[in-house]
Amino acid sequence: MSKAYLNYAAKRLIQAAVVILLAYVFTFVVVSILPGDPITNVLNNPQNGFTPDEINEIITAQGLDKPIPVQLWTALSGFLTGDLGLSMRTNRPVATLIAEVLPSTLVLASAGLVVALLLAAVIAYGTQFLPKRFGQGLLRGFPSLFLSVPNFVIGLVLIHLFGFQLGIFRVIEPNSFWATLFAAVALGIPISAQIAEVLIANLDHESGQEYAAVARGRGLGQMRLFTKHLLKPSSLPVITVIALTIGELLGGSLITETVFGRTGLGSLVQRSVSSQDLPVLQAVVSLAAVVFVLVNLIADLAYPLLDPRVKLIGPSARRPATADEGFTDLSKAVTP
Amino acid sequence: MTIASFHSPSRRSAIGRLASLRVQPTIVLSIAIVALMIAWSITPGLFTNHDPINGVPAHKLLAPSAENWFGTDHLGRDLYTRVVYGTSSSVSSALIAVVIGVVAGGLIGLLAGFFGGWVDIVFARMVDVLLAIPKFLLAVIVVTAIGFDTTNAAIATGVSAVGLFARVMRSEVIKTRQATFVESSFLLGGSRWHILWRHVFPNASRSVLPLAVLQFGDSILVIAGLAFLGYGDPPPASDWGLLISIGKDYLKWPWLVYAPAFVTIATVLSVNRISRWLRKTD
Repeated sequence: MSKAYLNYAAKRLIQAAVVILLAYVFTFVVVSILPGDPITNVLNNPQNGFTPDEINEIITAQGLDKPIPVQLWTALSGFLTGDLGLSMRTNRPVATLIAEVLPSTLVLASAGLVVALLLAAVIAYGTQFLPKRFGQGLLRGFPSLFLSVPNFVIGLVLIHLFGFQLGIFRVIEPNSFWATLFAAVALGIPISAQIAEVLIANLDHESGQEYAAVARGRGLGQMRLFTKHLLKPSSLPVITVIALTIGELLGGSLITETVFGRTGLGSLVQRSVSSQDLPVLQAVVSLAAVVFVLVNLIADLAYPLLDPRVKLIGPSARRPATADEGFTDLSKAVTP
Repeated sequence: MTIASFHSPSRRSAIGRLASLRVQPTIVLSIAIVALMIAWSITPGLFTNHDPINGVPAHKLLAPSAENWFGTDHLGRDLYTRVVYGTSSSVSSALIAVVIGVVAGGLIGLLAGFFGGWVDIVFARMVDVLLAIPKFLLAVIVVTAIGFDTTNAAIATGVSAVGLFARVMRSEVIKTRQATFVESSFLLGGSRWHILWRHVFPNASRSVLPLAVLQFGDSILVIAGLAFLGYGDPPPASDWGLLISIGKDYLKWPWLVYAPAFVTIATVLSVNRISRWLRKTD
C-alpha cells in the first residue's frame, strides 16, 4: 500500500460520501419541489378516500406543513441514521416495504448479471476463434443488436416463445425457476452487450501488442496465446464495466419485473409512482444511488491493486480507466 | 472515402471494390430507414389510407395480410397505420430528449472543462450525482414529478442523459485546451471567451455528434420503456412503446407485439449504425 494509493483511496472515499449525500438531496428536490406537487395530488385525490382529519394527520406525521429546508433536514438526518420514514400509501415503514421485496430483486439482478457475463464471454472470446469471414462479423454485430432491442421486447418474446408456445414456464408463476431464468435472460442481454463491447475492444488491442506478436513468432497457437497471454489483461477492465452496469441492472429490473409479473423493487416503484408515494420513491432512488456509488468505489479501489500497470500519479489521481469518459464510449475508455 | 475510391478509375482489385461495396449497403439501408421514419412522422397520411383511431370492429385481431400489413388490433384498427401515426411522437420526443441532453450537458461540460478549479469541482459532483442514479429510475422519478405525458417523458429522458454529455464534453474540452493551437491563441492575446467560442467549443463538440446520434437511439428505447409502463400519453395515442404495451395483453396475436417492436428495433439499429459510421469517418 503505497502512499499514493492511500491518498487516492481517501479521496475516492470522501468523493463517494459527497455524491451519496448530494444524490439524496437531488432526489428530494426532484420529488418535492418541481411543479405538480404530487403530495397534494395524493392526499386530495378522492380515489384515495382520505377524510380531512386523516389528511391533516398525514401532513403532520410526514412534516409536510414545515418549510422545505426543514423537511429536507429531517429526511436527510433520518436517512443517515437508517430511518427511511413512513410510506404515504400504506402508512408502514418504508424500510420494511423495501426489505420485503429486496430479495426477489437481488435474485433477479444477480442472475441477470451472471447471464450477461456468460453471454459477453461467449461472444467476445468467440470473436478470437471464429474465422474472420464467417462467424466473426456476425458475433461482432451482436452487441450492437442487443443494444437496439428494448428489454421489455426481449421479455415479451421470451414469454411468447417459451411460455406460450413451448410451455416451458407458466406466466402465472413468476417465481418459478424457469420464469426467473428467462427474466434474467431478458435483463442480462442488453447488459451483456456493453460488457462484450469492452471485452472485444480489449482483446483486439491486446492481440495487436508487441508481446502478442512475439508470442506468435515463438510459434504459440491461437488457443495458447489466448489463455496464456490475452485473457487476463483484457478481462481485468471488465471489473470497471460491471460496476458501471449496476445502475442498469437496477433500472432494467423495473421493466423486467413488470413484464414477468414479479414482485420486487421494480413493482414497488411502479406502485409508488402510480400512487405518488414519495417517501418510498425517495428511499428507493437514494438506495439505488448508494449501491451504485459503493460498487463503483469498491471497483475503483480494487483496480490499482489488481492491475499493477495502473499508476496513480499524486493526490489528483482518479480512476484510471473511465474517469473522464462517457458510458457509451466504454470500449475506447476502458482499454488500458 | 469509399465513395471517392468507387468513382476513381484507379485499378483496385475486384475484391477491394466488393469490400467497399459490402460496407456501404448497411449504411445506405440505415439512412433509408431513418429517412422513412422521418417521412412517416411528417406526413403519416401519405403512407396509409386507414384511420389510426377509429377501427372496424368486425375486422379485429386479423393476421397480417396484403390489406393490413401488420394485422389489426383488438378494436379492428390497422396496426401499420397505428405505427405510422405513432412515429411522429416517438421520434420527436427522442429528439427533444437528445437536445436537452446535448445542450444542458454540453454547457456544463464546456464550462467545467474550460474554467477548471471550483467551477469544475462543483459541476463534476453534480454530474456524478446524475450518473449515480440509474438512468431509467431517474427518468421515472422526473416524469412522476412533472406529470405523465409523452413530452414530459422526453424531458425526463433528456435529464437522465445530461450527465453523460457533460462528462464527455468535459474530457474533450480538457483535451482541446491542452492543444498547441489553443495555447498559442492564449499567447497571441485572445480573450478567454474568444478562445472558448472559436477554438475549444468547435473542436470539442465534434466528438459529441456521434454520441448524440447514439443517444437518439437510446432515447427512443427509454421513451418506449416509459410509454410501456404507461408514463406517456394514454391511448388512443400510438407511441411505439404504448403499442407494444397494449400488444402484451394479446400475446395470442403476437404480431401486435412483434410489428411495433420490429419497427422500433430497426430504427434504433439504423441510428446506432449511423453513429458508428460517423465516429469512424471523423
